Amino acid sequence: MADSTIITTENHVESSDSNGETHSGSITSVSNTSAVMIASLKAPEILEEYGPNLKLLDCNSQVAELLTIIRDKNTTRSDFKFYADRLIRLVIEESLNQLPYSDCRVETPTGATYDGLKYQAGNCGVSIIRSGEAMEQGLRDCCRSIRIGKILVESDADTHEARVVYARFPDDIASRQVLLMYPIMSTGNTVLQAVNVLKEHGVPESCIILSNLFCTPIAAKTVVGAFPKLKILTSELHPVAPNHFGQKYFGTD
Amino acid sequence: MSGEVTMPHNGIVCKSDILKKIDSTEMPLIEQPVKKLPSVTISTASVSKSSTSSSSSSTSSHISCTADSGIGSLIDDRSDLTEQLFVDPNLYVDIGNGDYCCPASPTTVPGRIVSSNSLESPARTTPSRPARRQRTTSVNSQSTTANPAECIIRANNRTIYTAGRPPWYNCAGQQVEPFVIGVCGGSASGKTTVAQKIIESLSVPWVTLLSMDCFYKILTEKQHEQALLNEYNFDHPDAFDIDLLVEVLTKLKEGRMVEVPIYNFVTHSRESKTKTMYGANVIIFEGILAFHSPEILKLLDMKVFVDTDADIRLARRLKRDISQRGRDLSGVLKQYLTMVKPSYANYIAPTMAHADIIVPRGGENKVAIHLIVQHVHTQLQLRGFKLRETLVNSYKDQPMPESLHLLPPTPQIKGLHTFIRCRSTSRDEFIFYSKRLIRLVIEYALSLFPFKTTTVETPQGVLYEGKRMGSRKICGVSILRAGETMEQAICDVCKDIRIGKILIQTNRNTGEPELYYLRLPKDIKDYKVILMDATVATGAAAMMALRVLLDHDVPEENIILASLLMAEIGVHSIAYAFPKVKIVTSALDPEVNDKFYVIPGIGNFGDRYFGTEPSDDYL
Repeated sequence: MADSTIITTENHVESSDSNGETHSGSITSVSNTSAVMIASLKAPEILEEYGPNLKLLDCNSQVAELLTIIRDKNTTRSDFKFYADRLIRLVIEESLNQLPYSDCRVETPTGATYDGLKYQAGNCGVSIIRSGEAMEQGLRDCCRSIRIGKILVESDADTHEARVVYARFPDDIASRQVLLMYPIMSTGNTVLQAVNVLKEHGVPESCIILSNLFCTPIAAKTVVGAFPKLKILTSELHPVAPNHFGQKYFGTD
Repeated sequence: MSGEVTMPHNGIVCKSDILKKIDSTEMPLIEQPVKKLPSVTISTASVSKSSTSSSSSSTSSHISCTADSGIGSLIDDRSDLTEQLFVDPNLYVDIGNGDYCCPASPTTVPGRIVSSNSLESPARTTPSRPARRQRTTSVNSQSTTANPAECIIRANNRTIYTAGRPPWYNCAGQQVEPFVIGVCGGSASGKTTVAQKIIESLSVPWVTLLSMDCFYKILTEKQHEQALLNEYNFDHPDAFDIDLLVEVLTKLKEGRMVEVPIYNFVTHSRESKTKTMYGANVIIFEGILAFHSPEILKLLDMKVFVDTDADIRLARRLKRDISQRGRDLSGVLKQYLTMVKPSYANYIAPTMAHADIIVPRGGENKVAIHLIVQHVHTQLQLRGFKLRETLVNSYKDQPMPESLHLLPPTPQIKGLHTFIRCRSTSRDEFIFYSKRLIRLVIEYALSLFPFKTTTVETPQGVLYEGKRMGSRKICGVSILRAGETMEQAICDVCKDIRIGKILIQTNRNTGEPELYYLRLPKDIKDYKVILMDATVATGAAAMMALRVLLDHDVPEENIILASLLMAEIGVHSIAYAFPKVKIVTSALDPEVNDKFYVIPGIGNFGDRYFGTEPSDDYL
């Protein structure tokens, strides 16, 4: 019933994101000259600049290839979705690494003991509609029966201000670890609103892990500044965000 | 037509010998009585298989008769020919190394062109009909000569075929040079019989028999006409492509895979298809001019000359050519006198001087064959084929090799390991969590391939410097059975990837790995290969699989061995033997127990994944 509304609002969100980007000083020049190459930031710089709570996926050649394919404008939709899903899976697996665990000892079939660990129960995912939903399948593939909440953040067309118009969570979300999923962060405004909603529902800032694929330094700064205890995991920190992600993934471009 | 010409020397008689032997040696292993084979297909196949090869004795023997048989056989009635020519490929039993034990050369059946189409034609070879005898083949003596039903051991719902290929390399992964026996002798002297008797008495599990007949030169049109008129000399050294022969034999001796040409004696050219053969512990090379080339002589470790009386050889030829091919006495005699006999005197008999052993009377000479077999056994023992125990006991307390790439030990990976290692994990969870772990291993393995930097345009209008994989040609090879569990993950990650399979099982008698089955993508040498096995304990199976890949000319540096769990000992062995192979695993365990399980380990990964654990009732 709300399908059409959601899609239109989402388009608003995305266009406002890109608008926000062009407004920000350092990048304006970039958008005008198409042949400029901008390198992404490397892990040590990030640790220094944004603190320990922003983590970057270990960028091996394989991940670099995935990023390249997703960024390439000549990638077909089928390839785009395929490789985006692969990257999402890796980001989700890495996000799960941030969850708390306890030591655990098990007996193996050979009769020996293995010192392993056990994740605590009581986690849940929250996706930000629409592009965050692209990451739900990746989470489901890792945690089969995990509860998933949803947030719809709408941008005001005139003021570019983001505001939450829909949120549905598990009742006991306050006592859970929350994996917040949103693939593209240009300004960070959407995520700010989403985290605020979660906090309103009683989720402590330190219990939220943000899973993200592409993040701009501005967005990173905004979010880290606003929520210093929030854990952020992203695969790339690059001044230009691939804002076509949601449209190409869902095929509404 | 088969009955009257069946020669006494091969076929059913020897087969039943082997059957007896297997019965007596293998029976004690059987914990449950051997049941009748439940599978109809297998038993049918075995019946027809044994009968095709056994009846092969009825077809002709030596090649020199091909030349003269030309005209006579053109008159042969067609249906008869069809029976000889069309061999239903389904009737052959796969002998484990991926090739079929069908005769390589369509030996002596002229008069009709064999095309690959006609081979697949619905003409059936019924068990009672004759087929060609095996000329060139990689033979596992047990599996090919015995009825397959007899080589099966059933215990605890496990079916073991006692017929894999044992290691053909030493514990450093290097090729152990096979023992090459050359068998020479005049036409119809019984070379093949001697070769077969040697194979049977050796009871070495893996023997390759290479016949010189495959290396006849392609005839020009004029020569082809001569051949039809019985005027082309097939017994002359010039009739053979010696260069190709040397190349093939050299490669076989190095243990490499070779493509042996299939010579078509009707068109006198090579067929487009070739026969794939593998190096073996023992290679037997037979041919009328086996000792003619000095280069080949150098390759032979033992030279056997079969010296059968000229009268007997002529008698055999006459009998064969006249009764089997409907040729007339004068024609056969003419060819014998003008070409076969002079060639024997000029080119074959003098090579007797090179022989180490001369076997008078051919295959009937049991004492000579016994002597040969004893010598070969001594030689094989000197070369040493014991593998697994050597692997377990070496390389203690050494730093881990550089070629090992361990996944970063994140809590996530440790958590997954906790699930799949726990003995009380249900199969549902076991499969789910091992799949997740496999996916991570495969993703990590892929990152180790070479990448090159590229620049792409983005929809945002800026250029982006990224990476693309250097080569798109990647294929996965799984070591059955546990390695198969990793195939899904690699298919999920690489679109349209080609998957090869290798079946290696441990022989419960010797504890040694044995190679049973092999299917690899064509041109695998051009691919980057991810070799997958769920667990690596001593590394014996992985080493065998790596050796197989190397034998198929895959460069060592193009191989990644991916595994969920490895024992340190296995990593050391593999890294020592194949230093350029990248080893990827998600966990490293310190020990291997006396049953070659990793400690603490996962248990039997394949059994847990596929749900074939022996239940307590059967223990």
